Amino acid sequence: MKEIVEELERRREAARQGGGDRRIASQHAKGKMTARERLELLLDEDSFEETDMFVTHRCVDFGMAEKTIPGDGVVTGHGTVNGRLVYVFAKDFTVVGGSLSETHARKIVKIQEAAVRNGAPVIGLFDAGGARIQEGVASLAGYADIFLQNVLASGVVPQISVIMGPCAGGDVYSPAMTDFIFMVKDTSYMYVTGPDVVKTVTNEEVTHEDLGGASVHAKKSGVADGGFENDYEALVQIRRLIDFLPLNNREKPPVWDSYDDPERPEPSLDTLVPDNPNTPYDIKELIVKVADEGDLFETAPEHAQNIVTGFIRLEGATVGVVANQPMSLAGVLDIDASKKAARFVRFCDAFNIPILTFVDVPGFLPGTKQEYGGLIKHGAKLLFAYAEATVPKVTVITRKAYGGAYDVMSSKHIRGDVNYAWPTAQIAVMGPKGAAEIIFRADADKMAAHVKEYEDRFANPFVAAQRGYLDDVIRPRNTRKRVIRALRTLKNKKAENPWKKHDNIPL
Amino acid sequence: MFSKVMIANRGEIAVRVIKTCARLGIKTVVVYSDADAGSLAVEMADEAVRIGPPPAAESYLDIDKIIAAVKATGAEAVHPGFGFLSENPKFAERLKAEGVAFVGPNTAAIEAMGDKIASKKVAADAGVSVVPGHIGEIADAGEAVKIASEIGFPVMIKASAGGGGKGMRVAWDAKEAKEGFQSARNEAKSAFGDERIFIEKFIEQPRHIEIQVLGDKHGSVVHLGERECSIQRRNQKVIEEAPSPFLDSKTRKAMGEQAVALAAAVDYDSAGTVEFIVDKEKRFYFLEMNTRLQVEHPVSEMITGLDLVEQMLRVAAGEKLKLAQKDVKFDGWAVETRIYAEDPYRGFLPSIGRLSRFRPPAEGDNGFGVVRVDTGVVEGDQISLFYDPMIAKLATHGDDRAAAIDSMLAALDLFDIAGIQDNTPFLSAVCGQKRFRDGALTTGYIAEEFPDGFSGVAPGALDRRMMIAAAAFAHVTAVRRAARATGAVAVSHDLEREDWVALFNGERAAITVAIDELGATIDFPKRRGARLETQWRPGERVFSGELDGVPFSLILDPANEGYDVRRRGARERIIVCRPRAAELRASLPEKVAADTGKFVTSPMPGLVVSVAVAEGQDIKAGEALLVVEAMKMENVIRAERDGVVKAVAAAPGASVAADELLIEFE
Repeated sequence: MKEIVEELERRREAARQGGGDRRIASQHAKGKMTARERLELLLDEDSFEETDMFVTHRCVDFGMAEKTIPGDGVVTGHGTVNGRLVYVFAKDFTVVGGSLSETHARKIVKIQEAAVRNGAPVIGLFDAGGARIQEGVASLAGYADIFLQNVLASGVVPQISVIMGPCAGGDVYSPAMTDFIFMVKDTSYMYVTGPDVVKTVTNEEVTHEDLGGASVHAKKSGVADGGFENDYEALVQIRRLIDFLPLNNREKPPVWDSYDDPERPEPSLDTLVPDNPNTPYDIKELIVKVADEGDLFETAPEHAQNIVTGFIRLEGATVGVVANQPMSLAGVLDIDASKKAARFVRFCDAFNIPILTFVDVPGFLPGTKQEYGGLIKHGAKLLFAYAEATVPKVTVITRKAYGGAYDVMSSKHIRGDVNYAWPTAQIAVMGPKGAAEIIFRADADKMAAHVKEYEDRFANPFVAAQRGYLDDVIRPRNTRKRVIRALRTLKNKKAENPWKKHDNIPL
Repeated sequence: MFSKVMIANRGEIAVRVIKTCARLGIKTVVVYSDADAGSLAVEMADEAVRIGPPPAAESYLDIDKIIAAVKATGAEAVHPGFGFLSENPKFAERLKAEGVAFVGPNTAAIEAMGDKIASKKVAADAGVSVVPGHIGEIADAGEAVKIASEIGFPVMIKASAGGGGKGMRVAWDAKEAKEGFQSARNEAKSAFGDERIFIEKFIEQPRHIEIQVLGDKHGSVVHLGERECSIQRRNQKVIEEAPSPFLDSKTRKAMGEQAVALAAAVDYDSAGTVEFIVDKEKRFYFLEMNTRLQVEHPVSEMITGLDLVEQMLRVAAGEKLKLAQKDVKFDGWAVETRIYAEDPYRGFLPSIGRLSRFRPPAEGDNGFGVVRVDTGVVEGDQISLFYDPMIAKLATHGDDRAAAIDSMLAALDLFDIAGIQDNTPFLSAVCGQKRFRDGALTTGYIAEEFPDGFSGVAPGALDRRMMIAAAAFAHVTAVRRAARATGAVAVSHDLEREDWVALFNGERAAITVAIDELGATIDFPKRRGARLETQWRPGERVFSGELDGVPFSLILDPANEGYDVRRRGARERIIVCRPRAAELRASLPEKVAADTGKFVTSPMPGLVVSVAVAEGQDIKAGEALLVVEAMKMENVIRAERDGVVKAVAAAPGASVAADELLIEFE
């Protein structure tokens, strides 16, 4: 028996060594941790249970039969984050570059299936060189198996991808179908085709970073939901995100002890909206002053900054926040903002997270660039997402709510549960100036007076309140208290959509 | 006594005057510009009258508008505060003509003392010693250089109408005299509408010590002792105290007598200040007399127990002074620090924006002494470019100087400001210096102690332990809370963990943290069993507690990794994590910041006044590149290295944001 146990330990030790000291040192020199080190940081100490440690590939071509690959380039298993179960897989770049084989894929699929069955999130850490070319079509089949599981798991358990090294070709589509993608700045990149192919096909010269670094995806493309400085910060922040999320779609969001007074007034919010309607202000000050302990986990903070999305807690329970940001493009809805917010709203709805919306929106962004880019359908995504959402929805209009964008931003008409406005709110078809110029076109001489007339009539929340489109006009300083009280009434909200196979959101 | 008084000012001094009026049962009126429509002063006053747009020239300096407001409201007297019209004889004269009392001295006294050139003649005639200098107007830069050379460098170049450091320059050679003359004149013109300049000998190693005087309309004048205001930056006072740690009773008496003599010579009939420059031999020279309430008057109030605003109101109403010189008694020591909206880490450049957080320390006894907060802002106010960047004054009073300073340090630790940058870390750093505690002050103190500007201080061993203790307690509390959230299937080891590692300033320290109901017992590498007592709860930015019985407070700001901890002028990122995580983190190489040396960016939002260089020009380090005006101060942006200008992105008249590209080097 003693020998048998020793043999087990010997094999385990060999597997844990991954690609060996030289490759591990090279990984460290690049500013990256190894797969197992990353899992140590991500998970609670001593909580990681590895599965399929002894799996090896089955390829016999190109001399692969003689090559043993411990763990086959991916470390899989489960563990806990602050005691809550998560399933994990981490590509091991030190082992054949983390390349994907048939058996490598099987290990991941096994994790995905278990996660769905047992109702726990899947966190994938990516740092790999793509398909294992020697395996040919078996490798492609492996990718597809993973993709299918991504799709089946979508909306059942949260799926999070962290790109911590190369991620190219077939490797990008699995993260693409997960709920959140995060990247590590300077050491990770993701793209469908790399710089070499780009050069051949389009003659464009571009670096890995400029083609698919965090500076591209977390800012411009919006593929990633955030970029972190290094592996440590990324993994600490993923733990923080997990703390906000329910483990599956049957659960309510987690709750922890709140030390913050739910009735806490914030007098300074009374002066947040400047007197001049064209002066910007930082909507994040409102979010942070409403949130428990000022704690906001912002998603995609650098992309489409005209809308803020993220998680806060109220009375210790998670709430998703969507807010127009007047500091960026006046908070207008454009293609990027609509897509960003729509996806966030759908995530919240899928996982029973109440949605708090702060509205200060001058409308949709005009222009050929937007129209040619399909603003109509992208804008419709956000409208669709809000309308179909059955989770508790509380909306506060702080200033502008103009035109169709008013309808879109979780208005009463698309099943907003509790809709409030600050006294500074202006709910109208458009800004007073534009409106007056249309209505009084024939009377251009007295335009200033007409603008004033329109302003007096519509640049306030009371017209909407008279019709019941708003439940109340609230003092800004009491926003936290009023939102919390509203959410309390919605704890047992029951709303259902008609039976359907699935909807047909304007993708 | 008056029944209704108008305050022709804004900000903290307006609030200050309102408070005294309210105590005396006097109704108050304030005037305000559009920028101050929602200000604390407007809210507190019984009446408020709008007098125009934000620029001071169109509001607080517009005599006609203020007179109109006086008439409309029926105010019987006007308190001018300081700055603006407080030393404008035309304003005092207009009020007199309208039959309204001016809460300040008679017009002749203002005129005699308001002009630096005229005041020196009066002082000299009254037997007060004066600094050698040129008295008379200066036509141009050429004449300025000539006069400066005659007096001998270094010289001080000042606006005749100026005060409070605006429009003042020190020149050490002819080139600087020329530059200084031009910029002093520009500033004098924009700040005072009077471009006259004068030049005098610059005394090295000087102390700024001033005598508070108080006179009535019946011929009595007393002095209320001195204030030392040597801690100045660019001739702008930063920290003041009373009494001075430097004066002996003989000098104090002599200065007081000269000050009273000067006041008597101009029939001074209000509160005023006679400023002296004192050299290391305790020789003192008359600098100027400010015919108004001084910013730093609270320290005199704290040691005399008098309310200077009340005294000014009483004498303005014709009452006789109730105290003679022998009745003036001094009790303890008082220190005042000025809280400015400026970034100490970036050359003290003005910082504007919304005060998203403004939580001053509580007034009253803080264990070391009594704290007083004078401010005109509240959380949520907008700090604009239009007015002085001072947002608050923090004053403390103790039995002795050490107690007053300790009280100040403790009060500064609790001052929580966010949204804009502020100078509290710098104030803490100065008050914590041995040289400051020793009282070895000169007006060159800041330049000597911070020759390369301010970059924060390294915390001492005890401060460091307090900072780590707070970060560790916060982290472990947060971890334990997270581990108790709903949905857990296992108990995280972190729930019971006591062994942690603190990472700070490139160092690693293994610590143990045993949390209990009252705080924690912490083992530091060099201090086992330290006892932390605290009521802190997650979400609080101010962390207060006691470490081994020593009370402390600090600011704790959660960051993506760990906490940013600020205390006593030190700020550190402190990461607390489990030992294995610390090991793993250490395996990551430090990232090298990108080279931004090629770019000159605007250090603050402001207006480009002039650009001194052109594309292709060869520049030496230190050379002036362009001038950006912010908060009425002209800031010269200089080259930090030699190089050739590749592109000039800023044009005169353009308004620029902080960090906006101005000039690119090749």
